[in-house]
Amino acid sequence: MTMKERKAINNVKLGFFVVAGLAFLVLVLYMIGRDQSMFGSNYTLKARFDHVQGLVSGNNVRYAGIEAGTVKKVSILNDTVIEVTMLIEKRMLNIIRKNALVSIGTEGLVGNKVVNITPAHEPADFAVEGDILPTRRSVSTDDMLNTLEETNKDIAFIARELKTTVTRINNSSALWNMLSDSGIPNDIRSSVHQIRQATGKANLMVNDLHELVRDVKEGKGSVGALLTDTAFAYNLNQLMMQYQQVGVQADSLAKEMQAMVSSIRQDVNQGPGPVHSLLKDKSISDKLQQSLDNIQKGTDGFNQNMEALKHNFLFRGYFRKLEKKQRKAAAENAATP
Amino acid sequence: MNLSPNLKSFLNEAGDIARFTGRFFSQTIRPRFEWNEFIRQCFVIGYLSLPLVGLTAFIMGLVLTMQLRPSMVDYGVESQLPAIVGIAIVREIGPVITALIFAGKIGSSIGAELGSMKVTEQIDAMEVSGTNPFKYLVVTRVLAATFMLPVLVLLGDSISLYGSYLGVNVKGSTSFYLFWMQVFDNLSFSDVLPAFVKSFFFGFAVGIVGCYKGYNSMKGTEGVGRSANSAVVLSSILIFIIDLLAVQITDALGIN
Repeated sequence: MTMKERKAINNVKLGFFVVAGLAFLVLVLYMIGRDQSMFGSNYTLKARFDHVQGLVSGNNVRYAGIEAGTVKKVSILNDTVIEVTMLIEKRMLNIIRKNALVSIGTEGLVGNKVVNITPAHEPADFAVEGDILPTRRSVSTDDMLNTLEETNKDIAFIARELKTTVTRINNSSALWNMLSDSGIPNDIRSSVHQIRQATGKANLMVNDLHELVRDVKEGKGSVGALLTDTAFAYNLNQLMMQYQQVGVQADSLAKEMQAMVSSIRQDVNQGPGPVHSLLKDKSISDKLQQSLDNIQKGTDGFNQNMEALKHNFLFRGYFRKLEKKQRKAAAENAATP
Repeated sequence: MNLSPNLKSFLNEAGDIARFTGRFFSQTIRPRFEWNEFIRQCFVIGYLSLPLVGLTAFIMGLVLTMQLRPSMVDYGVESQLPAIVGIAIVREIGPVITALIFAGKIGSSIGAELGSMKVTEQIDAMEVSGTNPFKYLVVTRVLAATFMLPVLVLLGDSISLYGSYLGVNVKGSTSFYLFWMQVFDNLSFSDVLPAFVKSFFFGFAVGIVGCYKGYNSMKGTEGVGRSANSAVVLSSILIFIIDLLAVQITDALGIN
């Protein structure tokens, strides 16, 4: 091999070496560039947020979880609106619709921010270059932490209250005495036993009462008969009416007697009246004597009436009982010397 | 001037290197470029360094992945292993490790080659024969080192990522395509371009320091060894200093 040939071979080797190195560089740059959608044809879509949670240019855009492009620009429109411009691959032209929802999410729990485009299920036209898609506010870590803070406060408050309660329970000597008194459980046990017995008895009693009431309703027994006998009720009613009449008559009698007595008094005092003459007159005295005899006779008649009443069926029982008692008392008196 | 001898010699050398660098630029822009010698140096410096660089890069990627895995598993982000290893290799490990290996191999060989030429007075003979030794020896080597190191870094990165792919699959199962996608999903231009640009400076530093040490070598064969040694030490330190400056600059420019 001549010197010249070897040199040529070495040059080829060198060329291969350099080309391989540069090819690797180009490959790396191309891969990175493709990831950032620098090559190929794209179109832009926009979305407006009030908070982009740290989204920067170059973050990925995903349509239903599939890489669809990258964030081209994040610009502030005014103090509350931030516009995110996205470079979307051309193949998505016939996929993303105007009503697809755009939200900002995170790759994993603490990864890079990512723009998620979620398809809506209502029909709409396909989104075209420069369209502004509707956005949805996503739950950010900040929001989660805020909620968690509220919860923490609540828990702290509950813990404090619980602590107070427990302290009070601990400090209550009465409660601890009660808890440490071994007699109490036995007492409670016997009390419960007694209550159970009492309940059983009460139950029986209620059953009896129930039965009684049913019997009374059905007219069984003397009380039942008494309460259900309509003839008896009628008689009683009549009797009461008669008594009432007697009362009325007695009342009018008393009035007449009063009038009579007053007229007598007048007569006695003033002379010309009959009483006056009665008291002065001897013949009248005789007549009065006769009248008193007549009254005596009337009283006898009343006694007879009373005797007759005794034989009336209503009061017969009472008088009989009375008689029996008297007889018994007499017998006892006779037996004891 | 009451400067300590060490500081004085340091400043003296720094000034010398600056003057040497200025001479390099002035000689480079002058016509009659030694193309054949440049290509030959590219072959020697670049192509012949590839096996060494490739081996170290492969081991680096594999080991880095396996070392990172337990921590990633602890944090529950094992699936992010390709991404984080990819970023580490492309941004820092690839350029710096490759440049250090390059400094060890090329810096020492340039220093020794030019040093022995100097002490055997070949350089002086060249000058007498009408050839510009600086153009022929220094410019070609420095340019070859400057342009070959980035290529070596790129190839080293790719080999390193392959090692990392094997490392991921030691205890897990990831398809090569998924690994590839995960690496590039998390890379951006700001990861690749600053690393690519700074590897030119690494290569330039290795070339210029090696040539300076060799070109100014003295005291016979002992001086040759010393210039080879100091070329490696100084260029390694310069690589780290350039790395530090590079990260400050990219940070200040906001490309990080």
